[in-house]
Amino acid sequence: MAEESKGIDPLHHFELHSLFDLHIAGIDFSINQAVLWTWIAGAVVFSLFAWTAATRKRYPKGKQNLVESVLDFLMKEIVLKVIGEEGRFIFPFIATLFLFILTSSLLGLIPGSFTPVANINVTAGLAIMVFVTVQAVGVKRHGLVGYLKGFVPPGVPSWILPLMLPIEFIGQLAKPLSLAIRLFANMLAGHIVILVFLSLIILLKSIPVTPLPIVGVVIMSAFEIFVALIQSFIFSILTATYFAAAIHMEH
Amino acid sequence: MEGMTYVGAVIGIALAAFGGSLSIGWLVGKTMEAMSRQPEVAGELRTTMLISIAFIEALALYTLVVALLLVMTK
Repeated sequence: MAEESKGIDPLHHFELHSLFDLHIAGIDFSINQAVLWTWIAGAVVFSLFAWTAATRKRYPKGKQNLVESVLDFLMKEIVLKVIGEEGRFIFPFIATLFLFILTSSLLGLIPGSFTPVANINVTAGLAIMVFVTVQAVGVKRHGLVGYLKGFVPPGVPSWILPLMLPIEFIGQLAKPLSLAIRLFANMLAGHIVILVFLSLIILLKSIPVTPLPIVGVVIMSAFEIFVALIQSFIFSILTATYFAAAIHMEH
Repeated sequence: MEGMTYVGAVIGIALAAFGGSLSIGWLVGKTMEAMSRQPEVAGELRTTMLISIAFIEALALYTLVVALLLVMTK
């Protein structure tokens, strides 16, 4: 059974292979596909925005329209609606997250490429970055004591505190965990379905049936574009919600 | 007995899809009702709906991760 299905194992595509071995002080810094495609996604976003900023005009045209409408959407729909005016300073962070996740998941739809956000290490890195930044913003805004006090609602009897504090603590840690797993599992599941459709062609070994899996692949790829958009939107809006909770502690 | 791992993974995914689809369907239906009653807050309702869908979906995806782990590391 295992030998038979080895040739079409859909998970094989998501294993990391080192492209350039690099070991510093016993730590593995090897460049694998995830690292490479993370760099490519970052380079695409950076060059598009730097190029647009360098050639910007007073009356937007072409790519400037695209960039401006995307940033305007992120500012109005995510930052101003969820956090409010106090959240303006965090806008670059949220916009960068959105654009990076969107670009890397869209790049992953190109046949032969690799989706870095379909790897738990990449999404966990993003989620830990969000977690640390949220805690830092909360501490900076309310002070360490004030921030810790915010976890305890006023008027709570003291005997319930040993029960409440661990729950609040776990709640804080569950946020980055769910962020990471949601993005990773969504991307992985979509790509596995596409790969399973493709391996049906090899599995069925019948030319008349071949168009059916191809139609399935086309439909799933279109759905993956939608999933990429909605997942990057959800990742950034949840990040904004966590920032809002850290900034407005009183609610 | 080895095949039972696959059975467990499939049952888990099936239950997760069942519960997730039921709750997301109910959630979207309720949001639609609210939107048709008060179209002026439709934008806000849609954002809240998307966030809640993300939370429900995460629970189903935890099952997916556990099932993948079961199948991969059996």
